[in-house]
Formats: sequence, C-alpha cells, structure tokens
Amino acid sequence: MDDRLIQLIVDEVVRQLGRGVGATPADTVPEAEPLDITSPEARAASLLADPASPDALERMRKRTTARIGVGRAGPRLNTRTMLTLRADHAQARDAVFSTIDPKFIESLGLMTVRTMCADKQTFITRPDLGRRLSPESEKLILEKCVHDPDVQIYAADGLSTTAIRANLDRILPILIETLTSSGLKVGTPFYMEYGRVAAEDRVAELLGAKVVCVLIGERPGLATASSMSAYIAYNAHVGMPEARRTVVSNIHKDGLNAIEAGAYIAEVIKKIYEQKASGIELVK
Amino acid sequence: MKLRTTLAGRSFTFHSIKEVLAKANEEKSGDILAGIAAQSDLERIAAKEVLSRLLVEDLCENPVVPYEDDEVTRMNQDSLDREVYGSIRRMSIAELREYILSYAAGEPELRRLSRGLTAEVVAGVCKLMGNLDLVYAANKVRVTATCNTTIGLRGTLATRLQPNHPTDNVEGITASLFEGLSYGCGDALLGLNPVNDTVAALAEVLKRFDEVKRRFEIPTQICVLGHITTQIEAVKRGAPCDMIFQSIAGSQKGNTEFGFSSDTVREAMALLKQRGTAKGPDVMYFETGQGSELSSDAHYGADQVTMEARCYAFAREFHPFMVNTVVGFIGPEYLYDSRQVIRAGLEDHFMAKLSGVPMGCDCCYTNHMQADQNDVENLSMLLGCCGANYILGVPTGDDVMLNYQTNAYHDVGAIRETLGLRPLPEFEKWLEKMGIMENGRLTPRAGDPTLFTAMRG
Amino acid sequence: MATLLSVGIDIGTTTTQVVFSHIELDNVAGYFSVPRISITGRKLLYKSRVHTTPLLDHDRALIDGERLAGIVRDEYGRAGFTPEQVDTGAVIITGESARKENASVVLERLSRFAGEFVVSTAGPDLESVVAGKGSGACLYSEQNECRVLNLDIGGGTTNLALFDTGELVHRSCYDIGGHLVLVDHDLNVSSVSAPARIVAEAEGVPLADGSRTSLDVLERIAKRMADLLACAAGLGGDEALLERLRTSTSTGGIAPAGARICFSGGVAECMARMPEDPLAYGDLGVLLGRALLEGRLCREAQVIPALERISATVIGAGIYTTSLSGSTIYYQPGIFPVKNVPALRLEDEVERACVAGDGGPLAAQVEWFMRQGDATRLLVCLKGMRDPSYDALAVCARTLCGALDKALPEDAPVLIAVESDTAKALGTLMARISDGKRRIAVIDAVHPMTGEFVDIGPPVMSGMVVPVAVKTLLFG
Repeated sequence: MDDRLIQLIVDEVVRQLGRGVGATPADTVPEAEPLDITSPEARAASLLADPASPDALERMRKRTTARIGVGRAGPRLNTRTMLTLRADHAQARDAVFSTIDPKFIESLGLMTVRTMCADKQTFITRPDLGRRLSPESEKLILEKCVHDPDVQIYAADGLSTTAIRANLDRILPILIETLTSSGLKVGTPFYMEYGRVAAEDRVAELLGAKVVCVLIGERPGLATASSMSAYIAYNAHVGMPEARRTVVSNIHKDGLNAIEAGAYIAEVIKKIYEQKASGIELVK
Repeated sequence: MKLRTTLAGRSFTFHSIKEVLAKANEEKSGDILAGIAAQSDLERIAAKEVLSRLLVEDLCENPVVPYEDDEVTRMNQDSLDREVYGSIRRMSIAELREYILSYAAGEPELRRLSRGLTAEVVAGVCKLMGNLDLVYAANKVRVTATCNTTIGLRGTLATRLQPNHPTDNVEGITASLFEGLSYGCGDALLGLNPVNDTVAALAEVLKRFDEVKRRFEIPTQICVLGHITTQIEAVKRGAPCDMIFQSIAGSQKGNTEFGFSSDTVREAMALLKQRGTAKGPDVMYFETGQGSELSSDAHYGADQVTMEARCYAFAREFHPFMVNTVVGFIGPEYLYDSRQVIRAGLEDHFMAKLSGVPMGCDCCYTNHMQADQNDVENLSMLLGCCGANYILGVPTGDDVMLNYQTNAYHDVGAIRETLGLRPLPEFEKWLEKMGIMENGRLTPRAGDPTLFTAMRG
Repeated sequence: MATLLSVGIDIGTTTTQVVFSHIELDNVAGYFSVPRISITGRKLLYKSRVHTTPLLDHDRALIDGERLAGIVRDEYGRAGFTPEQVDTGAVIITGESARKENASVVLERLSRFAGEFVVSTAGPDLESVVAGKGSGACLYSEQNECRVLNLDIGGGTTNLALFDTGELVHRSCYDIGGHLVLVDHDLNVSSVSAPARIVAEAEGVPLADGSRTSLDVLERIAKRMADLLACAAGLGGDEALLERLRTSTSTGGIAPAGARICFSGGVAECMARMPEDPLAYGDLGVLLGRALLEGRLCREAQVIPALERISATVIGAGIYTTSLSGSTIYYQPGIFPVKNVPALRLEDEVERACVAGDGGPLAAQVEWFMRQGDATRLLVCLKGMRDPSYDALAVCARTLCGALDKALPEDAPVLIAVESDTAKALGTLMARISDGKRRIAVIDAVHPMTGEFVDIGPPVMSGMVVPVAVKTLLFG
C-alpha cells in the first residue's frame, strides 16, 4: 500500500468514528496541561528515586508537613523542589506586600480606616505607627460606628492581605449573627489598613467597647499565606499588657476553617464578656 | 576624648560614646526604630571617624549599660585580663582594627587579645570593618569547644540539624531527622525547637533523639530548645540531655525578660555535669540575634550591634559548646533586607570570634523581609569562608514550625565541597560507615531517609 | 486535664475478666491555638483474676446470668469502684458465648453495673481490633514501623488483626480455639463443637460426644488447627477448609503474609507457660498451644512477645473502645448522654441534594431508615463541606433542619456527625433556624457507618468534647 492509500483509510476510519473528515489524530489529542507544581497532587509525589524502602518513605512523608524525601541533584535540590519553594515564597510575599481590592471590602459593607502608616514599607518597619490610628480615621470611626458596643469586631490586614481575602467573608457573618442573636450589642465592623494587633486597644478606647476583637492576617509561612488570627481583649486600653489578649490563631482552610472559627470565636467572646476577663485572666 | 569632627566641610558633634557607637553602625532598621541611627550617610561616616580616634579605654570605661545596674557589664569588666588590657588600652580603635588585620596578628595573638577586650571595644572595632575585613579577620581565628565531639576545628563546617514539626509529633520529627542525617547534617547538634514548652513534650523528644543517637552510634550532641527552666526540670526527671539551651540578651534586664539569670545558667551547668548524657565539659547552647534587646525594651538606648557584642561577653563566661545568631528571624523592623541581614551575620560572627565564643549562624529570613533563599545561600557561603563553626539544616530550608526559611539540608554539602571543608572528623567517619559520604562527597545512597528505617528492622 | 474511669468486661467462651482503667484527656494544642483535646494516657488501675465463665448446668452453651452478675459485682467491690463512678467502657461477649440468648442475659444482668455510660459491644471484627490493641501488637507495629499480625486465640474463636505502623489494615475471625473439644483426664469426650467436628473429619479421625478418644487423635486435631491458623496468617495451606471455619459474621479473609506475629488469648497463655499436663484445662488448649509452638507459624514468622496474653481483649475493651469527638462541636445542654443510637450515613447523592437545598431525598432516606430499623432516634452522618462559604453552609443547615424536622418523630433530637471540621458552625446555624423547636447536637471527628450504633457520653473538659463509642453489633 502506498502512503496515499493509507491516508485515505485513516481518514475514513476517523470519519466513521465521528471525529469529522480531515482531523488527524495529532490534532485531536490536546497537549497535556503542564502540572501546577504548587498543587496538592504535585506536592504529594516524592521526588526521591529508588528509596531503600518506598513504604517507609510514604509513611514518613505522611507524618510531617516538612518537605522530606525530595531527592537531589548532586548535593543540591531538584529543579522542581527549588521552583516550588520559590513559588511558595512568592505567594507569601504577595500576601504581605499586596494591598486588598477595595471592592472586596465594600462588598462586605465595610468602611476602611488607616493607621499612622502611609504605606506598606512604613508599616513593615514601624510597628509603633501601625498601632496608632490616623486622626482622620479616629474621626471617621467616631462618626460612623455605634458607640459603647458590648463587642467591637473589625478586620486588619496585618502581615497577610491574602488571609483577609480568603477568610473574612466566611468568618464575619456567623460571628456577628451569633453574637447578635445571643443578645449582645455588636458594634459597626470596619476594615483597617496597615494595622497591628495593638491598634485594637485604641479602637476599644475610642468607641468604649467592652470587648474588642480584631481579625488580622498572620505572618505567612511557606506552607500557607492565608492564615488569620483573632485577638480578643476585655476592657482594652492603650499600653495594657499583651498577656491580657486571648488569641485564636491558625484560621485557614487547612487549619481551623473560617466559618468554624467564627462559631468558635463567638463562643469565646461570649465567655470573655460574661467573665469580664481575657487573656491569662480568662478561666478557660 | 573629642566627640566632634568635620567631614566634607560639615561639622558633626556627638553627645556620648553611646551615640557615637550607634551612629557609626551600618544602616539597620532596628536602630532607626529605636531612634538612634545616623540621620544621613555622612553623619554615619562622621561617627565612624570619631570612633576610629577613640581609645580602647574610652570604650572600656564607658559601657553602654552602667556597671552598677547590670550583671552583664559586671561579668564583662570583672573577667577582663588586666595585663592584656594594659597593653592595648591606649590604642585607638583605628589602630586596633589595623592590628587585627595585620600579619603580626595571627591566631594565638588574637586569642590572647580577646581576653583584654570588653564588648563595647569588640563592637567598636566591628563598626570600622568592611564586610571583607570581617571575613578576613574572623577567618584567622578558630574557637573550639567540646561536648561529645569537638566543634570549630579548622577545615570543618558542621551543621545543626533542626527537624522541627508543627505539632511536635515524634515520628514526624524522626522522619525529618533521618532525612537530615542522610544528607550529612547533624554533626554540631540534633536540636529541636518545640511547639509545646512542657517537660513531657521535651522529655519525649529528648528520649527519641537519645535512642536514635545510641542505636546508630552517632557522634553528636542532642538538645531540645525549650525554656531553660523547662529543660532543667526535664533533666531532673531523668530525660537524657547533652546540652541545655537558652536565648540570651546583652543586658540583665533583657535576660530577666527572657525569664532567667546567670544563676539559672549555673544551675543548668551543674545539673548537666551531674546528670547530663554528654562527656563535656562544654554543655551550654546560647542563641542571640541583633534587635532582641530593643524588642524587650532592654537596650538602654544602645545600638543593636553593641548589645549583640554584650551577649557574647555574657556567653563566654559559661563556656558554651555553641552560640548561634538567628540573624534574620527577628523581622524587617530590626533588619530590613538581605543587605542588612548579611552584614549582621558577618558582624555577629566576627564579634563572637573576637570575644572567644564558638560561633555558628542560622542564616535565615522571614517572609515579610526583603530577602529570599539566594541571600541565605550567599551568607552561608560567606560564613564558610569566615571559618564559622556551623550553619543550620532544615528540610529544603523551609521550617514548618517556626515559619521562616534557613539553610536546607542540601546546602552544607555544596558549601563543604566548594570551600574544601569537611564535617567534624568523628561524624565524617560515621557518615562513611553508614555509606552516606565518601571522600568528602555524598554517595549515591545519600538523601534517602529510609536508610535508617531499613536498619531499624 | 480530665480523667475518665473506664471499665472493661470480657465474657469469653471459657473465661471472664474485669479491668478498670483511667483514660486521661488533655488539651494538646498550644495556648494560642484552638483547643485540641486528645487522649494523652491510658492507665490500667485494676485487673481482676481470670474467672471461669459461669454456664447453666442444663445447657453449657448458655451463660448463668445470676452467677456472672455476682462475679462482676464482687470485682467492682475489690477494685473499690461503684457503677456510678464509671464514665465509659465496654462489655464484650466473645467467641461462642456471643449468641443472642446470652447477649440478652448479659444486657439484663449487667446493665446496672455499667454505670451511666457503658457500651455493650461485640462482633468478631471489633474483637480482633480490641485484642490486637490490648496485646500490644498495635503499639509494637507503630513503634517499630512494621507490620504485626495479632492472633488472639481463645476458647471458641481466633481473632486476627493486622497492624501496619499502628494502623489496622486487615481483620478476620475463625472458629478455631482451645475449648472446641472438652475432654476429661480419662480421655472421655464430653463435647465436640461443630468446627471441631469439621477439623476431625478433614483429618480423618473419629471424634464424637460421649466417646473415648486418644491423645494422638487430639494432637492431630490440634496440629491441624495450628496449621489452619498458619494458613489464615497467609502462609498457605488448606484454604478451602479454612474458609469453612470462618466465623459467619467475620468480614475479612486470609491475611497477607510477611508480618511479625503476636499471640494473645488463653492459648497464648499456654504457649508462654506450658503446663506439663496436656489436658490441664480439660480441653484442647494446651495441645493447640504446643502445636503452634512447634508449627509453621513459629518456624516461619518472627514472633514478638505480647504485653498481655489472656487479658488482651479485656484490656483492649477497657482502654481502647472510647474515642473523642472533635474539640469544636455544638450541642444543647442536657442532650448527652445518648446510648445505642443507630447511625445513618447519607448516600452521596442525598447529601449533594441537601447541600443544593433539596431536603426531599434526605427526608425519604431518614423515614425509610426509621421504619426499617424500628428506630425512634438516629445519628445522621455526613461528609460535610470543606471550608464552606457562609451562604453554602446556611443553605445546608436550613435543608437539614427542614427535612429532619419532617422525618423525625415528634420529640426526637437532631443528632448529626459531620466529617469535615464544621460541627460548631453547622450546629450554631441549625439552632438559630430551628429556634428551640428541636434539641440539636452536631459533632465531628467520628465516622460511624450505617448499621453501627453510637454511644455519646456527657461532655468533658469544660464541655469541649464528648466521649464517643461506636459499636458494630448491639445486643437485644
């Protein structure tokens, strides 16, 4: 058979298979999408060729989130491991240095206030300024927020805007509704840019809040850039000891997921309100 | 003692030696945060110039924390070798710098010199050194110490293997430990930072470390880095332990903030002498880092390089096996970017060597700093050139418990090969016995943590 | 830190034993984390002597409830505990005794010793696991990162459980045991149970009730049984015969080969301390032990020492049957304890419909299940959603409330077990929707299957968690 005849037969077979005349097999097989090296499936694979005991390696890898069994090139990392690390670092840096889309904050019905930091660089290097509110923001808060609430809740970017983006819309409604339905006067929530934890002390003073709670982005690690914490204090005031804060940390989809965290924090806040104490003074 | 100079036609006046020391520092965000940094590059050089003309005795007689108020100052001043000090007290800091860099000053001379220097003098001369000066001078000296093995021998670069785990799971820790050993890490220390600072948690991990050390006959040291008082309690209740760890500061107030005093350290040493599992005699492990005094408001208005030098003055009184500057852990408000971190790493290592302290470095960064893994690799290479005692090793450089990055298990092998360095000798023999290393290079078996589980049966 | 007092009562074919232990709970999360309550210690407080299981004179297959109650009552006294002090635990009827008539006798006679919250549980699959944990096989495999097959060889049955690095990977049960033939010192056979008859037949030796036999015949039967156990452990052999001896309710078959072996149960006791008299217990036990020691299992596999031999099951029952819910759960005061609640695992499409807001299939499945099992309450088990949005979880909560309110009897509480870590959020939302109409509890970290029964104890550790026991087979 000559090539022409073969081509005709192939075309006919293809046509009969309903793929349409003229389509060659090469056209119909799409090129495989390259693997996302940050995906869970990619991470699940060990890159160590030929371990003495593959079963043991599998077990070891299950028992720690540390990146082990990664293999090597000479004494150095394999290319894929190296690139995955750099990708994770890039995400962590984005979490710290990116600003949040104002539309997201508006979609939650929140107003935005600011600390004394004019920009990210100042925020990163001047923790003292990140604890104080700008005069305009103080004015805004006094104007727009309910005064003397039982509980004042607000969010702050802290060291991860990614955490705010990933968790705030999940945690805020259940937190506020649960507190409201148990009869507490919940203040007007807002979003604070360039905020450190201790800024909540000033917020509590300004509004006369009995309990203050800030939902704030944690310093990202390579494992997750979207972890959020809640810092809660009773009768907070500027200069109070850090030990008076109750902390709930590790809120993200692979830690305590946001909505469950919201239900849990609501309960913690109720307890703090009832006991009139927080931090180490709170009876757990 | 003139605290005045003219530079490029501008005159600069300083009000105290403390101010000169602070402003003579290379730029550090921590000094800016403390409000004590030079206002301009020119002012910085002016301060350096004034500092260069100050005498050793000016700095010695003006400690940044008063003798009456502070046990670190007292320990430093009281232990000074008066004979050595007498021979250098009239030297200017410029002359001291040049002497240290000169061919006249070999290792024995510098070892002798260090006994006559206070922390302020060490810090002062450091501020007049360029980065290559810091490398060159530090490389002249080796400081050895002995626990089960001897660290700091010329021609070696050791590692602290740090198999941290987010929940202290002992099996997970062991998995990471085996991975590290299979890359030739762990000759300085098998050392864990625990999540839970409880006696039970510490004892459980120490027991596992001891088991692994014994079963595979690893010539190394073990330690779990809880608070010093927790470790003491664990040892009292029978936990195996080679070394006790504590973070230290350059002032008594800083140490009080850390929850211990020099008496606590003495108690730990006495306890280990009696009930520790190491041969010794050097059984303490200290960690430091520029900026920690400022973060606990225990810096007395002094700059972070000077406070760091004071840590070494404190440390050397207790003959530690290892001192570690966790150089980039504290964050960008103290060391802003990789430039500052690398500088700080070189400064700390130099100052420790000049103080006679066996020094290694956790070359690291957090994710809110302007730094990345390349910078860690740069710094560790430079420290290899300096003759640092050890660097760290964690899986791929990513510490899943402390959420920061440091050297990978994969780093030390490459540095050793590049610079012609070896593991500590007993450890290298052990690696050869285990089939992990041959002629100073990793074998094809290396990098497989299941080497150890296969042998566990 | 909290401590639960746990009782374990094992009523076997030949022996009965009682243990008391403390289960220690603690928050293992750091100070700044959400609490994570775990079982941090299990301490044996009291182990009774091994009693002969009291049987009725007129029918040696039936337990004498009166005398059994006496034994248990005396052991409570000796241990110094009252039934009211007991928080949790298990009564296990094993081997040949596990028949329905016995079960109801035990349930009736022992319920008042069981305290407020004691599980009555059995089933060969569960027995295997319990014995393997009690013998130390599970722990050994975890600590040595290897596979260990535990053979708990009792009077009537042998329970096999294979652990790989602390995890159960296989379980099975065979009617092979030391008490299947009863014989006196004059070699008069007083009883041959059916499985023994099968073995004798296969071996081609005569063995009948009331007849006289020889040591040789008994040895041959014991050797054959030992060989069948080697087969059950994956070493090959007469698989067809073995299959005939598989306990009817056992789900697993032949175990994969290559594991280390651990022996527990009464026969293991003989193996460890071999009596000189081959008929010391008037049964096959000693001979079976001897046959095992000389047989293929001990020659071809590596045998590890057991921490507990004859007491493995009772210790396993006393210490290992209680687990804990997750540490963020939702419940209304007074709703716990609950006992013997049947579990209903939702089919995937039913749950999908639920999440999409359609409660019809859920109501239908629940109604069907309640009719089938003649149940008045149930525990609805769902996979749940991972990191759900508020709206999605709210829809699910509303659907669950609506459907369950329709399908459940008037005053039944809404009990839900969810796999994903959303129990507190789901419960909070459901409670708001239900608004006091029904009592509600949502727990997580437990995974019962349809057909299993669940006991949930009163909350502990400041109410953060509840102890949970899942049973495979319920008496009565």
